Amino acid sequence: MFFIPGPVIAALTFPGVIVHEAGHLFFCRFFKLQVYQVCFFRFGTPAGYVVHQKTDNFTALFFVSMGPFFANTLLCVLFCTAAFLPVWELKVNDPLAYFFYWLGLSIGMHAFPSTTDLSNLWEQAPRLAKQGNPLAILSVPLAAVLVVLNYGRVIWADLGYGIAVGVLGPIAIFRALVR
Amino acid sequence: MSLGTQPTQSGMPCARCGAPSSDGPPEQTIAKQPPLCSSCRQLVAAWPYPQWLKLALVSLLLLLAFALVHGKKYFQAGRELYLGERLVEKGRYAEALPHLKETLKIAPRSDKAALLTAKAGLMSGDVQSAAAALQGHDGGKFENSGKQTFKEVSALWDRANRALTEAEKAAKLELQDGKAAQAAQLMHHAASTYPEMPGLMFAAEYYDGGAAFERKDYDTFLSIAEKQWKEQANANTAAYVASALACKYAITGKLAFRQRSEAMLQKAFELAHGEPEAVKGLDEFVDRNKYRLDSREIISKTEYDRRFRSGKPAGN
Repeated sequence: MFFIPGPVIAALTFPGVIVHEAGHLFFCRFFKLQVYQVCFFRFGTPAGYVVHQKTDNFTALFFVSMGPFFANTLLCVLFCTAAFLPVWELKVNDPLAYFFYWLGLSIGMHAFPSTTDLSNLWEQAPRLAKQGNPLAILSVPLAAVLVVLNYGRVIWADLGYGIAVGVLGPIAIFRALVR
Repeated sequence: MSLGTQPTQSGMPCARCGAPSSDGPPEQTIAKQPPLCSSCRQLVAAWPYPQWLKLALVSLLLLLAFALVHGKKYFQAGRELYLGERLVEKGRYAEALPHLKETLKIAPRSDKAALLTAKAGLMSGDVQSAAAALQGHDGGKFENSGKQTFKEVSALWDRANRALTEAEKAAKLELQDGKAAQAAQLMHHAASTYPEMPGLMFAAEYYDGGAAFERKDYDTFLSIAEKQWKEQANANTAAYVASALACKYAITGKLAFRQRSEAMLQKAFELAHGEPEAVKGLDEFVDRNKYRLDSREIISKTEYDRRFRSGKPAGN
């Protein structure tokens, strides 16, 4: 395993950082949460952030924390779907396809919610899950897995996730479509 | 970002911009939110999307649309690839071949497409398509030659080539007098080595006919010729039946055989219409058959060439 400084990785995959933070901002605005500070990209750690109002509304909390995860994953699948065949299966030297694949992977790599996002979610999820809140029930295992994956970033779990989504997603789509 | 410096209403400086306090009621404390000046309050309530972000997101969506449109030809090629792969998995090789060939038009360097096309070609007896797929792929070089599909195709390719080499030898032997039985034996071996190519078995049967001719077993010759005609009605098989019938006429003198032979030759010319190679072959054969019918003497092509064509085959 080789080490590349976080800011370098963030710079190489900056579209993912911007999309992730834009996702946070979108859901904050959607649920009318106050936003105190936004940074869409910087050379530092974290590479981007959105400081927002705390809320007791679990639905809002869920979407603000997890929204970027779903949005980045979806965009990763879509861009990689457009580029998967020429890059992986057809071995066509199409620079545009490689560009789209880079874009898709960059976005997919930054899908993971930050540990702060997850800890916010974790504060309320177990209690609400016991009360039968479906989003909380979904959050508990999801947050648990994502916490582990977040720690796995040191061994490129985020890149692994991007590649997995960018390869397995398109394969699943094509296999389902070609009947 | 310009926030302004209006005083907060809580009596404390603005938590965002640090603007000095006023003496208004502490509303923000009730809401358990940090004290903010009126400008910041407006800002945090609906943080604006920066213009560049809006443009970037619109561009991203346009780019996504373009990526999907740009990838259309690849989706088509990929679709053909998956359809072909599925048919190959089901053992429907001949059906898979056209799909895989379509993929190769877009992606000749795809390992998967080339190997699947070669496999489908070889398993359906279409060696030419297999060769085109393999040669079109970087001159037959593959990145990962350790893969199971590569090994499988490689083994198939070797087997097909062994069979075709034998078939070629058999074809050369068949041209020589007295070697028809040997040629037939070799062709049968080629056919059993590569049974996926039905043409080899058909050729082996044809050579069986030649062997029967050589040992003067004209009944067997005729039955083989008629069987071949039933299986594949074309100019060659029609001429083959005409030849066998001419032999029968030469031996028996029964006019019916002669009439049938002439009719089959006529049929052969009809079927060869528009095929210059077939017509050329028939032009060579028609004189020999006429000689057999007129003289009732059965001689081989070599002997005929020796007697009437100064030892050179017609057309050479």
